[in-house]
Amino acid sequence: MKKRRFILIGLMGLFLLLTCFFLYNKNSRPVILEFGMFTGSNWDVASANSFKIFDRAIADFEKNHPNVKIHYYSGIAKEDYSEWCARKLLEGKTPDVFMVLDSDFDKFTSLGVMKNLEDLMSSDDSFHKEDFFTTALDTGRNGGHQYALPYEVVPTLMFVNKSLLAKEGIDMPKEDWTWEDMAEICQRVTKDTDQDGLLDQFGTYNYSWRDALYTCGGNLYENNQAQISFTDSRVLNAVKYIKRLNDINQGQSVTQEDFNAGRVAFMPLTFAEYRTYKTYPYRIKKYTKFQWDCITFPADKEGGNTSKVDALLIGIGSKTRHEALAWEFLKQLTYTGEMQMDVYRYSQGVPALRAVASSQEGVDCLQEDMDEGEQVISSTLLCHVIENGIIEPKLLQYQQVMNLADGEVSKILQENKNVDSSMKIFQRTVSKYLQQQK
Amino acid sequence: MEDNKFNGRIRILQTAILVINIISVMGISIFIYATIEKIRRAYDAREFLNEIQAIVWYPYAKIWLCALLLGFLTLSMVIRDRLFPNNSKVILTSLIADFIACFAIIIELNFNYNGILLLVFSNVILYVKNGKSRYILAAVAIGSFILADYELLSISYRLYSIQDYIAFYSASKQQYFLSVYNIFISLNVILFVAYCVNIINEQQGNIDEIHGLNEKLHDVNEQLQKYSLMAEKMAETRERNRLAREIHDTLGHTLTGISAGIDACIAIISISPEQTKKQLELISKVTRDGIKDIRRSVSELRPDALDRFSLEFAINKMVTDINAVSEARVYFDCRVSNLKFGEDEENAIYRVVQEGITNAIRHGQAKEIWVTMKMEKEDILIQIKDNGIGCKEMKSGFGTKHMKERIRMLNGAVTFDGSDGFIVNARIPIRRGETYD
Repeated sequence: MKKRRFILIGLMGLFLLLTCFFLYNKNSRPVILEFGMFTGSNWDVASANSFKIFDRAIADFEKNHPNVKIHYYSGIAKEDYSEWCARKLLEGKTPDVFMVLDSDFDKFTSLGVMKNLEDLMSSDDSFHKEDFFTTALDTGRNGGHQYALPYEVVPTLMFVNKSLLAKEGIDMPKEDWTWEDMAEICQRVTKDTDQDGLLDQFGTYNYSWRDALYTCGGNLYENNQAQISFTDSRVLNAVKYIKRLNDINQGQSVTQEDFNAGRVAFMPLTFAEYRTYKTYPYRIKKYTKFQWDCITFPADKEGGNTSKVDALLIGIGSKTRHEALAWEFLKQLTYTGEMQMDVYRYSQGVPALRAVASSQEGVDCLQEDMDEGEQVISSTLLCHVIENGIIEPKLLQYQQVMNLADGEVSKILQENKNVDSSMKIFQRTVSKYLQQQK
Repeated sequence: MEDNKFNGRIRILQTAILVINIISVMGISIFIYATIEKIRRAYDAREFLNEIQAIVWYPYAKIWLCALLLGFLTLSMVIRDRLFPNNSKVILTSLIADFIACFAIIIELNFNYNGILLLVFSNVILYVKNGKSRYILAAVAIGSFILADYELLSISYRLYSIQDYIAFYSASKQQYFLSVYNIFISLNVILFVAYCVNIINEQQGNIDEIHGLNEKLHDVNEQLQKYSLMAEKMAETRERNRLAREIHDTLGHTLTGISAGIDACIAIISISPEQTKKQLELISKVTRDGIKDIRRSVSELRPDALDRFSLEFAINKMVTDINAVSEARVYFDCRVSNLKFGEDEENAIYRVVQEGITNAIRHGQAKEIWVTMKMEKEDILIQIKDNGIGCKEMKSGFGTKHMKERIRMLNGAVTFDGSDGFIVNARIPIRRGETYD
């Protein structure tokens, strides 16, 4: 009996000793924060400085937190990043802080991989979420909870071929121009210049029914409802407007070559592309044959001059062992003026912090690399576009439905179908599809 | 009984359930890890994420955690069954620990496998005897088994499903894995049922056995009662025979002699009175011898220390005994030089002293008791005095009744005084003249 008791006590003692040793060992090592990031731009433009921003942020953070090291894998391309993240997740080695691609955000939040930041945000007195662009902040929300903070924002702008308009004697459109204005300009520029019987000068390229929808006050997915209405009058208006623009081209399709050759007046363009190709060194690579600039999208009567806004999100892994540090680092990246200014300095987007985006220093940064005499888009306009921008839901389901809709619209344009009846039929298809997905 | 509980078949079944569960749990955790590795090698991770509802957080650590918990379960089983099979505290603690470990495993496996619960229940069933708690336990068991179901819980919680991981493989492999998975689950249930049936059989057997033994015990008891009656009768008969023999040998012999002597006296008294006188003297001697014989016989029937020792020695011995065994001090003061009385007198004195002391201790809670004995003319005076609580009002039944009766039989008197402590004064007239010595 006594011997057994000794064995039992011995086992318990051993267990305690092991636990103590484990805890001691754990505490004495420096904290390593894993940071998941990809190399290059989120906006599919060339970027030479992608490491620079984060290296600076990391150096700064490590200086302020002596026992902390930040580790990241370099050289993961954006195309591979989603797979890299997924592999890390499956392996159980989710990074403490990591960038989230739009396509991953919904899946990751529903898997519970991303930490719900609401508590961290409300308990941190030095943090005010009003400092962010509301739209930018909303891109990191899902189901009413904030799961990620925006790092940089990129609105979509309308590229205007200034040389072409000048040649045709048309004034540069104002910031609050309308659908009618654009339709009229398209009508005027669309012509056969070399008299070969084929049109070789066009109004728009890549301008889609979605862009039109955003500017006529339409919203397919209101409040994340599981219903999508394609028979709404504004959706129909948008499709009809696209059809009208398409009809001007007399069935001829516009290509990238036409655009590159300076024969197209308008094209939607992200702010990132605008910055990249408007400034040295990439300025010499594209669009060199003509003068160009960017303005807002034309609006319909009911809508505003708005467009799609994207944001690069950074979140915290839900299983992080260093929650406070991860939050500090996340704030370092997204919430400090210095780091956000680096977005202007080295990246192609707009800082997610409103104050930094509209600061004079920021404007100077943008102006720096411009050609002389070129006027950069004004920061007030930029902020206005971002603040009123449209965020596309990141649900996989939504993207699938939109792809279906894109196909349907292009079919309507090609086969010259009736918009109202085609969309009615399409609505039934979508409803059936959504029903199956549930 | 105890050995019966761990009989071979039940033990084998228990071990089999343990083995099946170890294989299942380790199989699932290793399968998940292996599948994840395969997915990672195939660079299908992102695609795979779209198919699942929840993530397995630390697949590699999970294997070790499961192994650790299973090791703990096995260890606890060994400690319970082999080292402390009769210590109810250890059994209860280890069973609760088992339950916790088992739930930890179930949660680790996200309710994909709840068969491990059966292992714990199989252990619990073995130890629970009480009928009521057994029903409660059965309810808990069934309840937790139903609640710990993946399909039910995955509605409201984010749980990973083993099916999703199986679905990663090609169709033929999927079938193979699914059937292995289901076979193990079924095998576990089958073993559990077999185990339960065995336990029930075993316990039914035990109950029958107890019933049989009970009946036998009853029979034997009755027989024993008969025997004891018979033995009593036999002792009585033996004693009667002895008495008859004694009477025949002593009294009969003496009386016969006396009657013969007296007859002779009657015959010769008129012829020779001298002869008759001689004869009568002879008869007197015979009679005295007879009385001696009777006394000897009676003394053989007497109990107690008295028949072995003198009265003084017997009382002294009693006092020493009481002093040795109780807190009370008894002082015996004997002022009579030769304590030699008739047996009935000795008996009475001894009993009176004994009862007096007993009363003083029991009722008076006395710490000190003085016993004095002295001669006054032809009477012997006995005083038993104590320093106890005394007794304001005399009540019969404090053992005084017996004392009174005993002394009255010897024509003596006894008085009691309970005002200060308790004093018993007894006066017994001694039949000096009647002594035969």
